Amino acid sequence: MTPEQWKRLKPIFDGALAQPLDARRAWVQQACGGDEALRRDAEALLASHETAGDFLEEPARLDPSDLDTLPAGTALGSYRIVREIGRGGMGVVYLAEDNLERQVALKTLPPILGADNQLRERLRREAHAAATINHPAVATVYVLDEIDGHLVIVSEYVEGDTLRTLLSRGAMDSTHAHALAVEIAGALAAAHRARVIHRDLKPENIIVTPAGRIKVVDFGIAHIEAPEQARLTVPGMMLGTPAYMAPEQLAGGVVTPRADVYAFGIVFSEMLTGQHPLAGPAGLIPPRFAAIIQRCMNPDPNERYASGSELLAALASGAPDTGIEHTATGSPRWWWEFHQAITAVVYWMMTWPAWKGREIIGGPLGRALFIAALIAVIVAASLRLHLWFTSRFYPAQLRWARRRNATWIRAADWLFVATLAVTGVLVGEDRSPVAVVLIAVAVGAAIAFLVIERATARAAFRSSATPREEARHP
Amino acid sequence: MQHPDLMPLVYDELRRIAARYISRERPGQTLQATALVNEAYVRLAAERPREFANKTHFLAIAALSMRQILVQRARARNAAKRGGAPHRVTLDDRNVGGNTPAGIDVLALDEALSRLALLDPEQARIVELRYFGGLTVEETADVLGSSPATVKRHWAMARAWLKQALDPGVSSV
Repeated sequence: MTPEQWKRLKPIFDGALAQPLDARRAWVQQACGGDEALRRDAEALLASHETAGDFLEEPARLDPSDLDTLPAGTALGSYRIVREIGRGGMGVVYLAEDNLERQVALKTLPPILGADNQLRERLRREAHAAATINHPAVATVYVLDEIDGHLVIVSEYVEGDTLRTLLSRGAMDSTHAHALAVEIAGALAAAHRARVIHRDLKPENIIVTPAGRIKVVDFGIAHIEAPEQARLTVPGMMLGTPAYMAPEQLAGGVVTPRADVYAFGIVFSEMLTGQHPLAGPAGLIPPRFAAIIQRCMNPDPNERYASGSELLAALASGAPDTGIEHTATGSPRWWWEFHQAITAVVYWMMTWPAWKGREIIGGPLGRALFIAALIAVIVAASLRLHLWFTSRFYPAQLRWARRRNATWIRAADWLFVATLAVTGVLVGEDRSPVAVVLIAVAVGAAIAFLVIERATARAAFRSSATPREEARHP
Repeated sequence: MQHPDLMPLVYDELRRIAARYISRERPGQTLQATALVNEAYVRLAAERPREFANKTHFLAIAALSMRQILVQRARARNAAKRGGAPHRVTLDDRNVGGNTPAGIDVLALDEALSRLALLDPEQARIVELRYFGGLTVEETADVLGSSPATVKRHWAMARAWLKQALDPGVSSV
């Protein structure tokens, strides 16, 4: 409707109301002249008026649940609300003062929902569980109470920026990140010892105090780790923040302390690179941490650190146990190492037949082929020896080293096979035994890196890489 | 009639009063706008006699505040229902009561009222004062400097139009 139409409609409506009920339609018809649209609008509006009943007659009412935010100054038992500091998973969190004017964090459940027994029960468990944790990096839970119909949890108020705020300024210095990570792991260790799982570890729940220490807060969705209570949630009820949730959590399966370890891995990674690890390529993580993070984020919970304590031990030592032990003789990894070493040796041995081949073929072609072969040998053999060395003496860096060198080794392998094959074919016209050797080795090398190496690597590294990824590595 | 600096005061006072009701009353009870607004006036007029000497002025502000409170809460409730924040627990909705016994959709009303204001600002004001502020016809006439008869007429038309606008069966007016 346009304002012009409205202007014309108004006097019609007013006039019609002044008529007795049964005379209205006729009056409207006459007053509208021939304007059909106006007549229609007027009749519709009149009909609406006549059936309006008590529509809007009763003024609006405010439902107390409309005001689940308590304004400043509200007294809640012996506490006085200062201001709202956030909304947690199940309720509003306020900064409040107790009767000694001490600052506390007050978390409330909306009164309407407090009537839901399932949620109250969970809140009670949450408070009880969190209260049993005693650690400097965990915000202490003081009281669980019911005040004026509100179920409240009173806990330590922690001042400071969240880790999220810190991360918004970019990646952290790795030494600083490591120090904080150790504290966070300590908090997790204490919680897991008390058989409590945080379930929602993320930068928003980690506060860095002005003194630079860590406080993990909002064990808000913690629940006691006991088999009979493992199904406290209703199927389909998802807790935690998806970006930090372990795969088994996302799938709604049983959650163990290892889910916290997964979340920790993501948080630590974010601290070091400034962005979420699954958000795309990021900066490089120092090798000594990369292994730890990788283990934390293993999709298989059984491959991760079992609890905060194990994680803490790995972090605190600085030279972490990454799950790759030193190679036992005869173990799959020993065979892989052996393969690397042998391959390097064989490649080097092939320089002599290649040299012979050059002599036979002669000319610039012969030279070119030999040089190509030599380059391939140098690259492939050297890098393989490097990997062998790393595996034996720096196992923690092995995964990283393999990934870095994979492409070069692969390229060198192909070059090696190609030059040897070509040389062999060209020489073969002379039926020299050199040709036989060259071609045999070319074929053998191809089989070796395509089939044998892949098998030994797969046996040695039961890793989380996909088979395709794995195939690219030596 | 516009005193933007007084709005927050009235707004806060209304919420404070409502909060006190929450503490005292059992959940499920609703608070009528009229009662809230009147009590807020009594308190604020006592606290700040100069600013709130004019009751009709206060009532106008209060009505607007009530509307804002209700609309905000309705929006928040809707967002929670739709799972707006991805990491919130999906609670099964125990939305008891709501603020409209007749089942009026506050957000729809708010939107329709805004549209009415474009067509007829005075009628929209009347609805705001009467429905959200709980004012009587006489009080409304006072606030607007009009006569009760005029207010009654305008109220009738506004009501009819809004009812049409809120009726899902009718195409938009």
